[in-house]
Amino acid sequence: MAVMPMKRMTIIAMRRDRKQLLEFLQRQGTAEIDTDTEEDGRYKKIDVSAQKQIFEKNIHSMEDALEVLERFDPQKKGLLSSLEGRKTLTVEEFGRALTKRDEVLETVSCINSLYREYAQSLAAVPKAQMDKEALYPWKDFDLPLDFTGTRLTTSFIGTLTGRTNLEEIYVCLGELCDFSDQVDVRIISADDTSTAVMFTTLRTHERELSEVLHRMNFTKAPSQSRAVEDGVSLAPAKAIERIDAQMQRASARRQQLVSEIKGYGDRRDDIRLIIDYFRMRSDKYDVIGKLNQSDHVVIIHGYVPEADYSKLSRALEARFDLACEFADPAPDEDVPVKLRNNAFASPVEGVVKSYSLPGKGEIDPSMPVSLFYYIFFGLMLSDAAYGIIIATVCGVLLKKFKNMEEGMKRTFQMFFYCGIATTVVGFIFGSFFGDVVSSVAQTFFNVPKDAAARLLPPIWFNPLDDPIKMLTFCFAVGLIHLFTGLGILMYQDIKNGKPRDAVYDGLFWYMFVGGCVVLLLCLPMITGMLGLTFTLGAGVKKISSIVAIIGFTGIVLFAGRDSKNWGKRLAKGLYGAYGITSYLSDVLSYSRLLALGLATSVISSVFNTMAGMVGGAMPLVAGVIMYALIFVIGHILNLAINALGAYVHTNRLQYVEFFGKFYNGGGREFTPFEEKTKYYKVKEEI
Amino acid sequence: MSMGTVWALLGAALSALLAGAGSAIGVGKAGQAAAGVITEDPSLFSKVLILQLLPGTQGIYGLLIAFITLTNIGIMGGSADMSVQKGMLYFAACLPMAVVGLISAICQAKAAVASIGLVAKKPDQFGKAMILPAMVETYAILALLVSILSIFGVSALA
Repeated sequence: MAVMPMKRMTIIAMRRDRKQLLEFLQRQGTAEIDTDTEEDGRYKKIDVSAQKQIFEKNIHSMEDALEVLERFDPQKKGLLSSLEGRKTLTVEEFGRALTKRDEVLETVSCINSLYREYAQSLAAVPKAQMDKEALYPWKDFDLPLDFTGTRLTTSFIGTLTGRTNLEEIYVCLGELCDFSDQVDVRIISADDTSTAVMFTTLRTHERELSEVLHRMNFTKAPSQSRAVEDGVSLAPAKAIERIDAQMQRASARRQQLVSEIKGYGDRRDDIRLIIDYFRMRSDKYDVIGKLNQSDHVVIIHGYVPEADYSKLSRALEARFDLACEFADPAPDEDVPVKLRNNAFASPVEGVVKSYSLPGKGEIDPSMPVSLFYYIFFGLMLSDAAYGIIIATVCGVLLKKFKNMEEGMKRTFQMFFYCGIATTVVGFIFGSFFGDVVSSVAQTFFNVPKDAAARLLPPIWFNPLDDPIKMLTFCFAVGLIHLFTGLGILMYQDIKNGKPRDAVYDGLFWYMFVGGCVVLLLCLPMITGMLGLTFTLGAGVKKISSIVAIIGFTGIVLFAGRDSKNWGKRLAKGLYGAYGITSYLSDVLSYSRLLALGLATSVISSVFNTMAGMVGGAMPLVAGVIMYALIFVIGHILNLAINALGAYVHTNRLQYVEFFGKFYNGGGREFTPFEEKTKYYKVKEEI
Repeated sequence: MSMGTVWALLGAALSALLAGAGSAIGVGKAGQAAAGVITEDPSLFSKVLILQLLPGTQGIYGLLIAFITLTNIGIMGGSADMSVQKGMLYFAACLPMAVVGLISAICQAKAAVASIGLVAKKPDQFGKAMILPAMVETYAILALLVSILSIFGVSALA
């Protein structure tokens, strides 16, 4: 349980080595590099945005290519593949893979251009479709649509709106002109929206007929580029054939493109590796752009955990011409915080981190948090079977995916321990899928109710039978939790050389709250209410009241010690002592341990009872099936909702009640310069 | 069958009804906000889902109170007969969960919606975003506790 001590790192190196040096630091991932150092006359920062842009562009096009591959040649991924973690490569393997860089970039641009062609070809399909549809009314017509007539005659080919027939057309022509007997009308096809017609007349009537047709809302047939071959117009039927042929060719080409793209499917891993390579380089250039460098020298400042620095310094000096210095940080420096804990406590580091990392002078609370975290989670979920399920699932996943990313691993470890605690608590309070043992015994084996209830007796007692006892137990656990927090506060004060504060803010509160609690337990009314059987003697009562009064006086006198004015100080002290009410509400807050624990077991028994009612009313086989069905669905639901509740409220008890006593946080997270890659990581032993 | 059973059943029904309605409103509201966030960033699904579910617990607590009342008054098998006074005691015992469940679920939904907005902007602050709506739930839990203890107490009476 500790905040890792840090060393201040200063490296002065040759400018020509800077890239290899940074690559080395990046692979080690143990040093945080300052990026907000100021320039001075000789040492300047250089602009790297041009290079960065190239890297970003490359990453972008490679990711596009991966997406294309995923679309045409999807890779089967297991449901749990996200747990697998990044693959580890050695520096040599990575170097070998990098020789393929240019080839991979070429492949990528190949994939992208194949896809572009595919997309363009696909985009042309609707247009061809439309052209074809426009030609359909004319498909039985034997002349090209742009036919305008012979030497003596003139023809108009086009459509009239609506369905019409020869008779109507001639009537209309007769009304509008006087040469309708010299017009030949040929209807080619008709449907509900339009009629395709060819009008033919003598050249001499061309202008007049054109005007008449205009008044009849005649539209000329579309002249289509697709209906032209080698400068000669085709008849519609031919044109349709031609479009079909074109579309078929395009579709064949698309298929060919797809298979070509698929052919690159096995290059995926190479592409991923090069993406990671460019990502690392991009990060590296980010850092280079923020370093102070002169013509020949580059200066790197940063922090390294004390545990790593000697190894790092030796490795650096062996590999490069440089001077590196590791010093203890000055007391007022904003040193980044990294936590390190044993396997039991480290899973809850994330819980601590998501509140806030320890600030100056604060200890890492992970150890006590972890202990209470598991216990509280167990008390709230409080079902042995649920605990076994959670612990088994987490345990199996942890065992199966050894290479899991750190954050994920810790979450599973945390729930693994939570699951174990839940199992233990479940057996202590006699809950296994609620009351499934007794429910099954009653439903299928006709065991009487009383005997069934004794089949899986609780090790201690069943909270459903005696909720008050459980409530008292929860308050006691809560008081221990709060006092632990107070103890940490005292420890911190003593460690920071403020033993008086430890007495004023810690010891007096122990005496005041502790005295009051014992005093309350001396009252028969309280013991009766809490269902406690013991009675404390008058001596205990006297001692506890004295202790409480000393504590109270101490708080009144010293809680306002910042004020010089005694009147003000006492007023503040009294207000401080009023804080006892917050202890009351804090302790009451632990009643949620009981409430959520009861919720789990009661809802379990609701489902068991429902399953029993349905299953018991049916013949045996059907009954068992129905029982199992209701049982499985009900318990999945109950487990999900109560695990969520237990998780949320365990966090709350830590953040509000526990941290409220001693912890402010405000530390800055240690963010080493490392490989922030997606698919691979490169490891170098030093 | 006496009026006592009617009163007791009324209490059980109210606790499932009001707390359930509150949770339905709450989860619905939070779900709308969550869906909005997912349109922007689908990877936040698991986080906003947890926040959406937070106002859902009141409905469960309501169900719980309703169920232990039903088993205690003998509706679920056994003889359902009791005095009017005892029935009204059960009714009163169910009220905290019914009323507080309804109101706290709706209020918790408001906090949950705000927290979903917080997670949308700062996904790394999920831990804090989760605690804010959970503070509201405290009062639902206290009401649940009072109702449970009262029902157990009433059933122990003659």
